[in-house]
Amino acid sequence: MKKKTPWPYVFFWVLISFLTLFPIYWLFVISVTPSFELFSTPSVILQHVDWQNYTEVIGNPTLRGYMMNSLLISSGNAILTTTFGFFACYALSRFNLSGKESIFFWTITNRMAPPAVFLLPLFLLLTKVYRIEGFTLLDTRIGMILVYCTFNLPFAIWTLRPTVDGIPKELDEAAFVDGASPWKVITEVVFPLCRPGLAVTLILTWVFAWNEYLLAATLTNFNARTLTTGLSEYVTTTGTAWGIMAAISIFTLIPALIVFSVVQRHIVAGLTFGAVKG
Amino acid sequence: MKSNTFGWILLAPTIVVLFFFGVLPFLYVVYVSFHQWNPFAANPYMIYNGAGNFRQIVFDGAFLASLGVTVAFVFFAVLTEVIVGYLLAQAFMSDFPGKAFFRTIHTLPLIIAPIIVGSIWKLMTTPSIGIIPHLLQSSVGFDLNIGQSAAAAFIITIIMDVWHWTPLVTLTLIAALVSLPPDPFEQAQIDGAGKWQIFWHITLPMIAPAVMATVFIRLMDALRIVDEVLMLTGGGPGSATRYIGVHIFREVFPRTNYGYGSAISVVVLYLTIVACWLLYTGMLAPRKPRKS
Amino acid sequence: MASKMENIDKPIDILDDANAPPIAEKSGFLPIETNWFDRLFISVVIWVAMSLLWFRFIEPLGLSIWISNVIALALAAFIIAKG
Repeated sequence: MKKKTPWPYVFFWVLISFLTLFPIYWLFVISVTPSFELFSTPSVILQHVDWQNYTEVIGNPTLRGYMMNSLLISSGNAILTTTFGFFACYALSRFNLSGKESIFFWTITNRMAPPAVFLLPLFLLLTKVYRIEGFTLLDTRIGMILVYCTFNLPFAIWTLRPTVDGIPKELDEAAFVDGASPWKVITEVVFPLCRPGLAVTLILTWVFAWNEYLLAATLTNFNARTLTTGLSEYVTTTGTAWGIMAAISIFTLIPALIVFSVVQRHIVAGLTFGAVKG
Repeated sequence: MKSNTFGWILLAPTIVVLFFFGVLPFLYVVYVSFHQWNPFAANPYMIYNGAGNFRQIVFDGAFLASLGVTVAFVFFAVLTEVIVGYLLAQAFMSDFPGKAFFRTIHTLPLIIAPIIVGSIWKLMTTPSIGIIPHLLQSSVGFDLNIGQSAAAAFIITIIMDVWHWTPLVTLTLIAALVSLPPDPFEQAQIDGAGKWQIFWHITLPMIAPAVMATVFIRLMDALRIVDEVLMLTGGGPGSATRYIGVHIFREVFPRTNYGYGSAISVVVLYLTIVACWLLYTGMLAPRKPRKS
Repeated sequence: MASKMENIDKPIDILDDANAPPIAEKSGFLPIETNWFDRLFISVVIWVAMSLLWFRFIEPLGLSIWISNVIALALAAFIIAKG
């Protein structure tokens, strides 16, 4: 190939980056524009910054509750799926279980199913079948944590499996010879070595749970509503609180952006079912 | 050695959770789909209905229309993403300053929640707030209104999806292009092959598996798009962007007609499974040399 | 050990044939190699598709769905045996 000057490429990528970033910037612009200025001529350049929408969101006890729910549900789900996924991977890696490859593939199919199809059956099961007297899992945080396992647990299993497989078997066998219990081997020998992989899985499952909307919108009413569903409550047919909506969006975006900077290179592998190593 | 019982104990939580929230819903929805069940009807109990719900579905105009727009959306969105993604990946192949930085920026949309993507594009395109209708109005006098024009709403959902997911295609194709050996390209250049010839006869066959895998993943994800569209257009205007997931969420779910809703869910699941299976065998299986 | 540690956070390529579970496969008249589960799956897919199309186009003419079911069953038996 001919040696070309790199500047056209830089220019091209500046343009692409602009196209990528501008919509996010626009979200920010709307969020710091007071509502009475919104309907004047849209302007790309910020005249002044008004944090009123943000203070309104933080000052709203309902939205604070939603934020808390989002935080608790996604953290609970991430910890639960990573723990279960780690145990499952250890079992798949170290034990000679019959049909374990079928089990592995079966867990993955759980993630490929379209969530819209499961809205109705999950709703019916949660309201009519999974109930003890008056208590149902509908609109509870623990219910949402368990429901999110359907897509996060398969993800955790297939991202963790190579991690666990990569820990040499000789290490835990040596520990067994020294008389350690199986539980002790997992927690004190295998777990410390798996930490980097576990951290990536924990972070990505956390983001997926945080970002989820559809299931949260149908399976919660008030008590366990998450921030993403709170966002859609501000879009009504009678009129939309644009500034508030933008501010909630920014709040939902921030944790994901922080996470993004940490695990950027693992995102592609995670989103492509591991078919492409990022 | 260790006993297998302990292995099963470790696997048990996963199997139990996925059984109750993955398998049982599937079996249950199939079971309900053969019944009439509306808790607010005169008879609020499940009544066995045979294949009655399915008889009704094949004549359900709204449902069939929704299937049609879904297919159109998936086709145009994925096609655009693959073409743009490939061009961007090619543009990444030569050295220029700030490559890693641009790559990071380009990855950014992938981590954004789908519902936020919807709200971002709603703010970009809503008349009198969005910058896009404003610019189109002042520069070429075109009046973009996604609340009224079906075509505009459809195209904006595609643009939104392209903005959100092209980075995935780009990054996977970069990974594929980087791993190509340089020899065939040098040889072709010595032989005086043109750019197009090199692309068609050397690059494309070599990256075909990666392209196929990417297309497969994108098609599956595009088929289940809901959140973004729900936020951006709500499925409107009319049924122009009422893709199948949106249809279930907005039209089927609120109507407490559980038997019929379950039947629709079953049909959608069936179509998704068949589409994925056909794509998987059709696109990826030819990689396997056939044993005879 | 060091080389293994480098790969610990790389996911498995599930689309890679090397990672697919080994199952007895054979070639029949179908254009792809199949095991018994694949053929059962294909039969069920065809049965559902036929039923839905029958409901739409043929049942209004007065022909019962059972005709479709019988055809589908015969087809399924043929596919599973010869596929």
